[in-house]
Parts: sequence; structure tokens; C-alpha cells
Amino acid sequence: MNFGVISAIFRKDLIVFSRDRFYVFITIIGLVAFVAMYWLLPDSVDETIHLGVVQTGMDTLFDGLGAGDQGLEIVEFDTVDQLRGAVEDGTDGIVAGMAFPEDFLDPGTKPTVDLFVTAALPAEYEKAMEGLASQLGFLVSGTEPPIDLATHTVVLGIDRVGNQVSLQEQMRPLLAFFVLMVETMALASLISTEVQLRTVTAVLVTPARTRDFIAAKALMGTILALTEVLILMTLIRGFVGDVPVLLLALVLGALMVTGVGLLAGSSGRDFIGVMLMALAIMIPLMIPAFGALFPGTAATWIKVLPTYGLVQAIVGVTTRAASWSDLSGDLAMLAAWCLVLLGLGTVVLRRRVATL
Amino acid sequence: MGQVSSTGPALAVDSISYSYSDTLAVDSISFEVAPGEIFGLLGPNGAGKSTTVKMLTGQLSPSAGSIHVLGMDARSQLADIQARIGVCFEEKNLYTAMTATENLKFFASLFGIKLHDARSLLDRVDLAARADDRVADYSKGMRQRLMMARALLNTPDILFLDEPTDGLDPVSARTIQGLIKEESARGAAVVLTTHDMYEADSLADRVAFINQGSILAMDAPEALKLQHGQRSVRIRARGKDGDVEEIVIPLEGEDAADQVQRAVAELDLLTIHTEEATLEDVFVAYAGRGLDA
Repeated sequence: MNFGVISAIFRKDLIVFSRDRFYVFITIIGLVAFVAMYWLLPDSVDETIHLGVVQTGMDTLFDGLGAGDQGLEIVEFDTVDQLRGAVEDGTDGIVAGMAFPEDFLDPGTKPTVDLFVTAALPAEYEKAMEGLASQLGFLVSGTEPPIDLATHTVVLGIDRVGNQVSLQEQMRPLLAFFVLMVETMALASLISTEVQLRTVTAVLVTPARTRDFIAAKALMGTILALTEVLILMTLIRGFVGDVPVLLLALVLGALMVTGVGLLAGSSGRDFIGVMLMALAIMIPLMIPAFGALFPGTAATWIKVLPTYGLVQAIVGVTTRAASWSDLSGDLAMLAAWCLVLLGLGTVVLRRRVATL
Repeated sequence: MGQVSSTGPALAVDSISYSYSDTLAVDSISFEVAPGEIFGLLGPNGAGKSTTVKMLTGQLSPSAGSIHVLGMDARSQLADIQARIGVCFEEKNLYTAMTATENLKFFASLFGIKLHDARSLLDRVDLAARADDRVADYSKGMRQRLMMARALLNTPDILFLDEPTDGLDPVSARTIQGLIKEESARGAAVVLTTHDMYEADSLADRVAFINQGSILAMDAPEALKLQHGQRSVRIRARGKDGDVEEIVIPLEGEDAADQVQRAVAELDLLTIHTEEATLEDVFVAYAGRGLDA
């Protein structure tokens, strides 16, 4: 390796990159947009269930429910029509409504409680509402349910009651990935331009070797991607928990997308081809980051994707206070994928340069 | 740096070949170029000239044969060789987002040279006034002149120039031809690839005709023209009926002088010119096709 040559190519690439209006534009706009998106998302989770009720003669009972049960807020309405309207419109966060008939308290009757839910309400909420209506029936009638169960809840892991992972926090891996993807495309375009304009040929008839050229490109891609993702993570309050582990994951992530950039830049024949190639590789790699938005929904096969370890590390450190011991397996897998993608990118670029 | 022979040829090519898949692009060609000599590789498009230059500059490795540049083996001492050669490509492969000065400083740094005075080098190619303009704003001729300046950055011992004046305006072409002569006078060997017979004729000390990957002939342009061309006198005269007639008298015939004298005495002459064969004529004689074919 000739470090003087690598440094010269790196500095030249910085000049070329800084003068490419398209990439400067999408880099800045991307960063601003992703940060803005983060801050516009809700930073907390409302765990209170707002329940609308129409009832007659059960004021004492419902006052007791509203005050005593943490997480349940009872909103009373005078008429069924008002209740329906409030549920449909989501007024005051009301997600469901119960209309108790006037004969609910009459002994010997079998009253029907109307339950109003929006179409978007999960089925389990609906069942819970039905259960609540039954419980109220037992309470009002003063009788015991057929079986009186005592439950003891054991929370495994961190008890998130009152401290749910917000949408902001869930979006962090995806935003980090978007930034890395933008820089992947920038690197791919830089390489592709060198190949198409044959400037790489002019470089390689000097004492510069192919390995110097590839090393400079890898350095450029990694520093660009890492710098931008570090700026992003700073601006979206990403540096919480075990920061060294998070930094290691981000460095590995930057190296990995550099490998993708080398691969896409040396495979595409023109600008559009490079963009399509980069997207074709990056879209599957985004799946674990999308999976982080919907915890518990990720399929097992997602764990073999190269970016799974990166997403796990970001989510783990920033939301679960995970440490090195929790994430060592994911980081090892991420490091292995880095080597594979960087190696593959290097081989393809070397072959491309050799055939010019 | 490797051992460099100071007395031998600047470039010694021995039976090199190269194939692209199943196509034989260069077929066992050999030649030598002396220090200070301008050597022209003349042939039509696709003849194998560029492939030959790529092998000579280390972009391709020959499948057979050997190349010695400044006494160094091209296979084992490529980096040392590339530190002492200058290459001007047919493609305008410059960094267009950078200025001429930035381009030169970047390439100088690849040679390990601190280029403090890019302007004087740019002055040699008449670009000093545009030194700080981005190359994207340059004309084709200006880009070619900048490529020539780039090839001279390391004061090379051998210059490889691939179609250096192709499609250029006369001013740019003259500037580049002037530089080639200056470099030759300095002692640098120049390998000039062209399909322009006039350029080869006016610049090259020796030319090699290359066609279908093989060298057909190699000698000084004058010698080739004398060996294979036909000298003649072309006369245009007004005939008795007032029409313009054209007569060509070959100078090789025994009575050529008598024929010329008789024509001058008897005809109403309009113009009279001596003619000699061009390199194109000689090439056609060898290859059965023209240089632009």
C-alpha cells in the first residue's frame, strides 16, 4: 500500500464529491429531512385507554373505575349517538365505547350492552371490552363470576409499563439506514464515473496500484457514511446507553455499505444502472430496519440478512440498555458480513478495472 | 527504482501477443525505440495499435513475448517503469469537476511530486490563462492539451501518445506537435499512435504499419515512400479544343525527362507539379486497404 497515493486519491474524491451538486443536495436534504422526521414523530406512548360510556344510574360505580384503575379513563356521554360520533371521530382519544341499557340494573333481565369500536381497533381490544362489560355486570349485580382467578404477572426483561418504546425510538435504525443508503449511492456513483470516464486508467498508468485505488475508495465511502450517520445519531439523540458498542456497530455498518457501494459502482454501466443496482442490493437490506418498527413480527430468515446485527445493536443499545455481552453475537455476524461484502466489492471492482 | 540501462533502447518489444477472448488483437510484434526517437504506429481503427500501447504502458499484460522499458522488465518492474513514462490517452479522461491546476497537482502527487508551479507547465500548452477554470468548461482541444501537460508532469523518459491530435483544431494540433518535437529533442522517446498519415510523416523518425495485429512494414517514412511509392509529374494543360487535360508522367521510366521536356514545350501549360507517394499509398500497397477503412 502506498499511503501517499491513497491520501491523494482520497483528497481528490473529497473535492469531486463536494462539487457534485446532486450528491451534496441529497446528502444535506436527506439529513435535514430524516432529522425533521424524527422530531415530528411522537416521543412517548399514551398507555391510557380512553373508553366512552353511556350509562344510567351507575355513576358511583364508574367514578370508582375511572379513579382507581391506572390506564383507564372513562368519558361519559349522554346519548348513544354522541358516543358513536366520539368513537368514529376518535374524540379525546376514545378508541371504544359502551352503551349500557337503562334496564341493565333491573334484576331478572338479560340486558344487551352495545360495544362501539372503530374498524382499526385490534381484535384483542374488542375482546377486552367485552370482558370489561361482563365484569361490570358482575359488579353491579353483586354476584361472583363462575371462577374467581387470581393472576400474577411476571414481566420478563425490562418492564415497559409507563416507559414504552416510542415511535421516535423505533425509527432510529431505519433513519440511520436511510443515511447509509444515500452515501452508498454517492460512493457507487463516484466509482462508476471513474470507470466510465476512464479516469481510473489515467491513475493506474502512474505508480498508483489498483489496491491503492480501491483502498482510497473504501476509505472515502466509510468516512462519508460514518460521518453522516454520526451526525444523524447525534441529532436524533441516538447516543444513549453503551456508546462504544453503538459506535462499533455504526463503524461496521459504514464498512458494510461501503462494500455495497464498491459492488454497485463497479457493476452498473451508467448512472441509472448504478442507482438501480444500489437499490436492488439495499432494499432487501432494509428489511430488518422495517422489522424494528413492528417488534415481534420479524420472520426468522431476517436474522441472516447482513443488516440484522446493525439494527439489533442500534435498537438494543438505545432502547433496551443492551451491552457488549448481549450483542456480541449480532456484532460478530455484522463483522462477518462486512468482510464478505467488502471482499466481494473489491473483487468485482478489481475485475472491472482490469477489463477496461 | 530498478536498474536502468542508459545505453540500450528506450523500449524493446519482443514478439508480444494479446487476445480478447477468441480474437487475436496483437500477433507477435517486435520493435525497438531509441532515446529521442519518435516512433509512429500507423494503422486503421481496430488494427491493434491501442492494444499495443496498453501493453506497453502496463494496462494489459501480453499473453506472450516480453517488453523492456528503459531496460526494465514490464512484468516485474511495472511500478518503476510507470514512474518514468508519460501517457496521453485517446479518451479525454480528466476530472472535469476539478480545475486544470487541481488535475495536474493530483496526478503529480501520484508520482510523489510536489507541483509548485503548475502554471509554467500549463503555459507550455497555452492553458495558463485558464489554469483555474474547471475542465468541464474546456473545449475538446483544451482538454487534449491538458492531457498532454499531464503526460509531461514527471519529465518522462518515454511518452506514449494515443491519437493525440485526433479531431483537434489546427492550433491545438500544432501546439501538441510542437511539444512532441520538444520532448524528442530533450531525449525522450516518443511512441505515437495515429491513423493520420500526414502527422506520422511529418513527426515520426520511423513508422510501423500495423494491420490486423501484425506489423506489415517498419522504416523511416521517406524510405518507405521511396521503396514502395511512385514519383510522378502531374501536368494540367489547355488542349486544342480549349478543354483542360491532365497528364501524369511517372519519373521511374527511362524517358521520363524527355516526356516532361516535350510536354513543357508543346502544351499550353496551366499547372505542373511533382508528386510522390504518400504513406497512405504505401500502406494500401501493403495492406490492400486504406488507413481510414
